Amino acid sequence: MKQIENIPDSGIFLFKSCMVSVEYPGIESSTTYVFDKLGIDYFVSDEQSCCTGLGYYFDLFDQMSTTAIAARNFAVARKNGYNNITPMCSTCYAINKKACALLNSNDEVRSNINSVFKQAGLDDLIYEQNSLDEVDNFYHVVELFLSKAKQIGKLKLKLNTIDFSGVRVAAHHACHYYKIQSDDMIGNPNHPLLIDTIAKSCGADVVEWYEDKTLTCGAGFSQIHVNRDLSLKVTHAKLESLKEAGVELLLHMCPNCQIQYDRYQPVIEKEYGTKYDLVHMNIAQFVALALGADPVKVCGFQTHSVPLDEFLVRIGVSV
Amino acid sequence: MTYVISETLSEYDTPICDTLAETVKKSLRTSDTIGIDRCLQCGACTSSCPAARFTDYNPRTIVKRVMENDISVIEDESIWNCFYCYTCHLRCPRNNSPTQIVQVLKQMAINKGIGLNKLEVLFGYGDAFSEFGVSKIPDLYVGQMEDDLGIRWREFKNNLDSVRSELGLGAVAVKDSGRGEIRAILAGIGFFDRQDLLKHMAKSKSNTVDEKGEIIK
Repeated sequence: MKQIENIPDSGIFLFKSCMVSVEYPGIESSTTYVFDKLGIDYFVSDEQSCCTGLGYYFDLFDQMSTTAIAARNFAVARKNGYNNITPMCSTCYAINKKACALLNSNDEVRSNINSVFKQAGLDDLIYEQNSLDEVDNFYHVVELFLSKAKQIGKLKLKLNTIDFSGVRVAAHHACHYYKIQSDDMIGNPNHPLLIDTIAKSCGADVVEWYEDKTLTCGAGFSQIHVNRDLSLKVTHAKLESLKEAGVELLLHMCPNCQIQYDRYQPVIEKEYGTKYDLVHMNIAQFVALALGADPVKVCGFQTHSVPLDEFLVRIGVSV
Repeated sequence: MTYVISETLSEYDTPICDTLAETVKKSLRTSDTIGIDRCLQCGACTSSCPAARFTDYNPRTIVKRVMENDISVIEDESIWNCFYCYTCHLRCPRNNSPTQIVQVLKQMAINKGIGLNKLEVLFGYGDAFSEFGVSKIPDLYVGQMEDDLGIRWREFKNNLDSVRSELGLGAVAVKDSGRGEIRAILAGIGFFDRQDLLKHMAKSKSNTVDEKGEIIK
């Protein structure tokens, strides 16, 4: 089981996410802003590809293809000497962990993929058994923030930035972080509190429990496209639960969930004839803001569908 | 003309076995320790399932039918309602995983040409990944998203490059040499063969496959 004391702060391969890149690029710039403030040693590569997770859960990618692409990305990380694979997206996290476990434990998978690399003249990609450990080399960015929560709190006090007291904040922990490999999450998968703890260290008034806290966001990979009405029913149920609890700011750790809430909240308001006084941020955007980041030039709030301007003005941030 | 499902791929996600439960256990998609034989039919999966909350999808009975080797389960429309949220996987007291089982059932359905109407709309994803090394929302859904998300989203998407550069971020796509590697890997592993076959099957709507996985026209 993963222990918070053992979360590394060096050798971090910040694994880029497709949906962060094209929907909320401010999540990536906020993450590196916070990493820089905390002195975390990390690397970002222009050779790393997407994990194929969306394709895998669209039922298009098979396990072998997804694992081969993961093995190539592990080689990119290894070549640069940054072996702690650390995504901003929960699906990248779970997909890479599973691929690593298969490469280590399944000789047929490993030799099949390595022989494809050899035949293509890509010998430098060959995966050596146990060269990465599926537990000790895989982290989600939120775990790094959690391991530095005290430092974040102290730094925020020193910088004397925003006063979050009285702002009702809640967390949506991403399913693929804590439900797939639940033994490897930090805390209790029946009541995840990673984001809550980080938000508290920034002085927020955290609503730790609301009725549907562990309900999926509703995106369901192909569901939002192929099964749109069902997808929005789930998201609506969750938004109602947040409204009931009086939550004003929902914090995320996965771009897919953030799309589902931030992009589709106005759609649900229209289709269900309701209104939500609720804005969305990724935990990296929230921590960056708490540590003095510019809401536009670092946090990238201009890419959101639910405007944050009013909320930011209310907490004293000039936009 | 006869097409054969790429053996290297279907063999791993949906290995041909004597029973459905064996196929599930041997599939690369499922955990090595999957507890399908230990299922108590307690219903913890169904009671915690978001799809079961709003539709007639019932993971408990899906698992039961797999245990009973009822092959017709792959034709059950309700399996397409699973969100892949893994709540059942977390809640199961016997380390079973209905969501992983459903992934295998859907692959079996797809191999037989079932549900391709739900799959073909997503093919653009594989095309974009193999060209740029990054994923994107399938083109066919961009129109629906534009309707849903409005002018604010469309303007942001049109200005993505300048937004990214203001945030200090570089290009989205993998750099050229890496893209060549990705294409070589996908070709070598058999991904393109399978994708082409599925595209052909979806286009020709030939839904009949014999026991060896060959399409009968």
